[in-house]
Amino acid sequence: MSNIEPHALGAEAFFDEVQSFEFWFGAVEGYLTDRPFGHSSDTVDVALDDVRRDRLITTLCNYCVGETAALEGSSGLVRLAPNRNAKIFMATQVVDEARHLEVFLARLKDLGVDDAEAEIQRRANPLLLDFKDSLLELVDAGEWSSAVFAQNVILETMEFTVFRAHERTADPITAEVLRGVISDERRHFGFGENDIGRRVAQDPDLRSRLKDLRTRFDAMVVGVFDDAVGELALTGEGAPDLSRDYMDAVSRLGLGQ
Amino acid sequence: MTQDPGADSAGASGSSDGRRRYELEDVGFREVPKRWRKFYRHWGGPTDELAPNEMLCPVCKVIVRSVREFREGDRLYCMPCMTRMVVVSDGNGGLIAQVVF
Repeated sequence: MSNIEPHALGAEAFFDEVQSFEFWFGAVEGYLTDRPFGHSSDTVDVALDDVRRDRLITTLCNYCVGETAALEGSSGLVRLAPNRNAKIFMATQVVDEARHLEVFLARLKDLGVDDAEAEIQRRANPLLLDFKDSLLELVDAGEWSSAVFAQNVILETMEFTVFRAHERTADPITAEVLRGVISDERRHFGFGENDIGRRVAQDPDLRSRLKDLRTRFDAMVVGVFDDAVGELALTGEGAPDLSRDYMDAVSRLGLGQ
Repeated sequence: MTQDPGADSAGASGSSDGRRRYELEDVGFREVPKRWRKFYRHWGGPTDELAPNEMLCPVCKVIVRSVREFREGDRLYCMPCMTRMVVVSDGNGGLIAQVVF
């Protein structure tokens, strides 16, 4: 095994490494091997009471909306990506998002949902659907920076935060599925924050454009977080501050209030 | 001296530049390829005591590790979230990792 530590790499070598399919293979091998549909066959499912099962179905339906948005968004962004590393990374994200959608649909099936599409349409949060439409408009308009900000910073940070909070209270199978997804999400929002951070540093006009975009999206983000708190029953003492990671990310990018 | 949470079974030792050096072992972080796994570990939350060769990534909350103790100005990379950072003073006598864009 090599004794070179990652911190000794030059910046270019670092990005060549972490934005490669080779890196992606080595990473997902570590936490997805022998986990069909995101969980080990040894993990025991537990019976959920009707209220908890219904809440979980609603939550998973909304996860499917978010993952579909990211799948469609990232596939469009492959073409817009400004360099080869970004194209390759975005292709790995397409694969991740498709897998997320698949494992959440499989979990819905486990829970007895026969027609997932109908269930998703019935239970989808309108704010999340608005967000998806807005994201895809940015992709269709060819606006790489705005679309990456919306998808990889806002949506991915939101998903990472909600999934982590949910994983702590979920049934064993859902929790294991979520842990695999969370591991993928680190790459996605990290890519977004770093890409946008570099661009904002070089283009002051971009900062003001993204601030406007953030203002446009804030109401949707806050609404989605509020609804997630209710669905996941995360209220009361010790409840996580779901907007904290999002606020920290926009602050690091200089896009705070 | 209290148990150093970053030092593995081989322990920490000195080096010619006066920094403690560490023999790192894989401690179960599986989100990067095998060759890089020993340089990262999961964070245990606010009560998780960091060793002198460890920094918390402010972006993805993973602990980044090095074979030597960190000093102000050192560069470090979080591979799980692709973030470049530099070690800076936290203003209270400690060190933290700050994101570099």
